[in-house]
Amino acid sequence: MVYGSSMMPTLNLVGDVVLSEYISHRLGKVSPGDVVLIQSPENPKKTLTKRIVAMEDETVSFSVDPSDGDRSRTVVVPKGHVWIQGDNSYASHDSRHFGPIPYGLIQGKVRCRVWPLACAGSL
Amino acid sequence: MRLWFGKWTSIAKESANRAAIFAKFLCLLHVTNTYIFSPILVYGPSMLPTLNLTGDVVLSEYISHRLGKVGPGDVVLIQSPENPRKIITKRVVAMEGEVVSFLVDPSRSDRSRTVVVPKGHVWIQGDNIYASNDSRNFGPIPYGLIQGKVCCRVWPVDCFGSL
Repeated sequence: MVYGSSMMPTLNLVGDVVLSEYISHRLGKVSPGDVVLIQSPENPKKTLTKRIVAMEDETVSFSVDPSDGDRSRTVVVPKGHVWIQGDNSYASHDSRHFGPIPYGLIQGKVRCRVWPLACAGSL
Repeated sequence: MRLWFGKWTSIAKESANRAAIFAKFLCLLHVTNTYIFSPILVYGPSMLPTLNLTGDVVLSEYISHRLGKVGPGDVVLIQSPENPRKIITKRVVAMEGEVVSFLVDPSRSDRSRTVVVPKGHVWIQGDNIYASNDSRNFGPIPYGLIQGKVCCRVWPVDCFGSL
């Protein structure tokens, strides 16, 4: 069950039930574009859902505060880390705030949505 | 003919029972090793003199870090932030919100730096500061990377006991 505004419009604000599998990240088969569950680097008891934008050794350009100007920054993702961002860049607390996260914090990969039935299917 | 068949079924039943007991034992062993505690072989120079260079078998438990009962002074197993497939053994020096003063490069100079550990992170260092790649190199690590806490050493037998 995932909820929150940081992945709109992909995931709903009030909550969706998604199917997530826990094998891919152990095999290293996680890549940019995947929606993943991660353990928050700021609060280890919290699990977040975000999209992977870049893997290690890739360069990321992002706008620092999209609602407040056009400033943008470019960062190289260090070894063993990934860069994650929520789809809703105006209301998402992600790597633009706490930096790239170690790959080991990835808990699982989200495959598809199962509830509500009207939106069931892959993301 | 009937007697021979009867003997066969009883042998088959007994072996199925024994196989079931063995399978249950393996399941229990797997659950214990993954979620409760298990012996781990650790090696390397970064925790000398506490742990030996050539390898020690230590007992590590996987419950404390889930309950948040890991504190400074504990030896923990962590997933390396530089290589997610590698598990390293280091000591927790400071928790979130605490201030750490450390020598940047003890073999070359006396320069020291002071850092505040951010929220949700811990600062880890190897006991052998001359030969340890730890938080002094890659910074504080998120608490979520802690895999388990080492409680005692079981091999070699003459160094048996808590660390």
